[in-house]
Amino acid sequence: MKAPKFNPGWAGNIGEYELTEAEIRGEDFVGERPLEGGHPSASATYPYMLETKDPKAKLFEGAYLERFEKIVTRYPEMRAALLPTLSLAQEVRGYVSPQTMDEVAELLELSSAYVRGVATFYTMYNKSPVGKYLIQVCTNISCNLCGAEDVLRTFLEETGTELGEISGDGCFSVVEAECLAGCGFPTCVQINSKYFENVIAEDVPEILATLRNEQSTDPRKKSLKE
Amino acid sequence: MGYPYSHASEVSIISKHFGDPDARTLEGWKKRGGYEGLQKALQMGPEEVIELVKDSGLRGRGGAGFPTGLKWSFMPKDSKKPHYLLCNADESEPGTFKDRELLRWAPHQLIEGCAIGAYAIGAEQIYIYCRGEFFEANQVLAKAVEDAYEAGILGQDVFGSGKRIELTVHAGAGAYICGEETGLMNSLEGRRGEPRIKPPFPAAAGLFGLPTTINNVETLSAIPHIVAKGSDWYRKWGTEDSPGTKLFCVSGHVRRPGNYELPLGFPLKELINEVCGGVVDGNALKAVIPGGSSVPILSADQVEDCLLSYEGVQEAGSMLGCASVIVMDETTDVVHQVMRMSSFYAHESCGQCTPCREGTAWVTNILKKLLAGKGTEEDLTTLMELTDQMTGTTICVLSDSVAAPVQSSIKYFREDYQKLIKGGEVNG
Repeated sequence: MKAPKFNPGWAGNIGEYELTEAEIRGEDFVGERPLEGGHPSASATYPYMLETKDPKAKLFEGAYLERFEKIVTRYPEMRAALLPTLSLAQEVRGYVSPQTMDEVAELLELSSAYVRGVATFYTMYNKSPVGKYLIQVCTNISCNLCGAEDVLRTFLEETGTELGEISGDGCFSVVEAECLAGCGFPTCVQINSKYFENVIAEDVPEILATLRNEQSTDPRKKSLKE
Repeated sequence: MGYPYSHASEVSIISKHFGDPDARTLEGWKKRGGYEGLQKALQMGPEEVIELVKDSGLRGRGGAGFPTGLKWSFMPKDSKKPHYLLCNADESEPGTFKDRELLRWAPHQLIEGCAIGAYAIGAEQIYIYCRGEFFEANQVLAKAVEDAYEAGILGQDVFGSGKRIELTVHAGAGAYICGEETGLMNSLEGRRGEPRIKPPFPAAAGLFGLPTTINNVETLSAIPHIVAKGSDWYRKWGTEDSPGTKLFCVSGHVRRPGNYELPLGFPLKELINEVCGGVVDGNALKAVIPGGSSVPILSADQVEDCLLSYEGVQEAGSMLGCASVIVMDETTDVVHQVMRMSSFYAHESCGQCTPCREGTAWVTNILKKLLAGKGTEEDLTTLMELTDQMTGTTICVLSDSVAAPVQSSIKYFREDYQKLIKGGEVNG
């Protein structure tokens, strides 16, 4: 059984509503989020998963330091800022290495062992480097009923990788994701920060070609270049 | 209205502005009657708000169905300690995709509901714990929160009432178990998201050890409407024990999957055949999971007379849960799908309790063995015994959630298992 062909979609642009991609993704409303985090109440809602990663970047400086300082003000204890801080570190560096965990521990006055224990509990922290685009394919029940395993297989074949590997050109890593809460739009695929929905195996080459041609999925790509 | 499809049977209260980008803006939301509920609540006493919510009969939409007003009333009244309101937006139950729509189409509805809740329970700090993967939806919510701060709806002096209400949007980092309320609290505190032993219950010692109430996104989204229009109005829909409307997330083998807001007590068969346009390709229905992957599977026969209320689904032999209806047609390999669910739970088990940590992996291995054609009749007995020992023996109910689909599938689809044992394949 295959899902009907509508698109390689974004957030469910299949039904009765005439909406643009920006409207569906909320980009028209959100605009470009400021690097320094905006109002403190919203500073812990990142991370972006960026194409550009700098594993040697400092934790933290400039606008990122500002955001970190805002995050810390929102909790009665430093420890509570741990998850947002790890996320921020990953946004900057692309993954969270043991070394990064130690640096975060120091920033928040926690022990290294404690931070490692927490960081390894959560799947969104990449423990090793990933490609420019991290492709996460949901294969849980609702997507599975509609051909998710074919989609995953095709992503692996077309990128020439095994699960979790980085492709030769550094462009892609493909992983299997647990339910992404897009069950009504099978198969749901998260590529960096964006959802692609109603994806069927036949869509995969087109999606990869678009990404290869550097049509950016970074919501903040423009500001990074400036 | 339903998203991405709507239907004439719907009663659109919380989903009224799905697919309407203008409703996300503060001005657009106010034009649609937004923040009237909060302003009305601020004129009432906190106790009065709690009574109103109690009278409405609203039940928690996250899965357990606990009466919301009653939960609020458990918060200590004369304590000088800070109180917290937590909103659980860590939607991750397989089959559920309603909270993301609420976050990205009606962020102010949620902010308003949170503010009313905080006022009622005497909390000055709200945390919305959002699923980390919901990057796009979280940014919509974040922008709406910033706008609300700027307009004086949040902050030191809410609508000039002198009340202080702070709200922080906090993104999670990918762990199913953080949807469990005490796991979520641990996670928010910067710990591993391991559920806590209860008691103490959150109202006594929750986030940071302080009195805390935790509600689902959908529950809080209904609050502004109940406060603005009254409890009798809300009771116009639904049943005596399950008043109001509910978002039904329908996925799997139906023609028009999506979210539909319907009165509780709506017939399941009508939902599948009328609202969702029937099963794909004209196939026959095989099974339905009515409440997300953690509840028992219903066979096609059980679906016949099942009514979608908390009590109705229970009568049919399952649970309403978070009303995530997963539809499976006759081509479905039930054992494979049960294996996929159990491997999910094995991956997501936090590992604190032995029956869950070991049991989820063991169940998955036995199911894989059966699917490889290497199983025996004895394996079915082992599965039943094993899942019995995984029920009611752990801190949280993740372990029980594996038992439900395994036991119900063996009960209603034993033939599928037996075909595998005989070496044949199920459904080609």
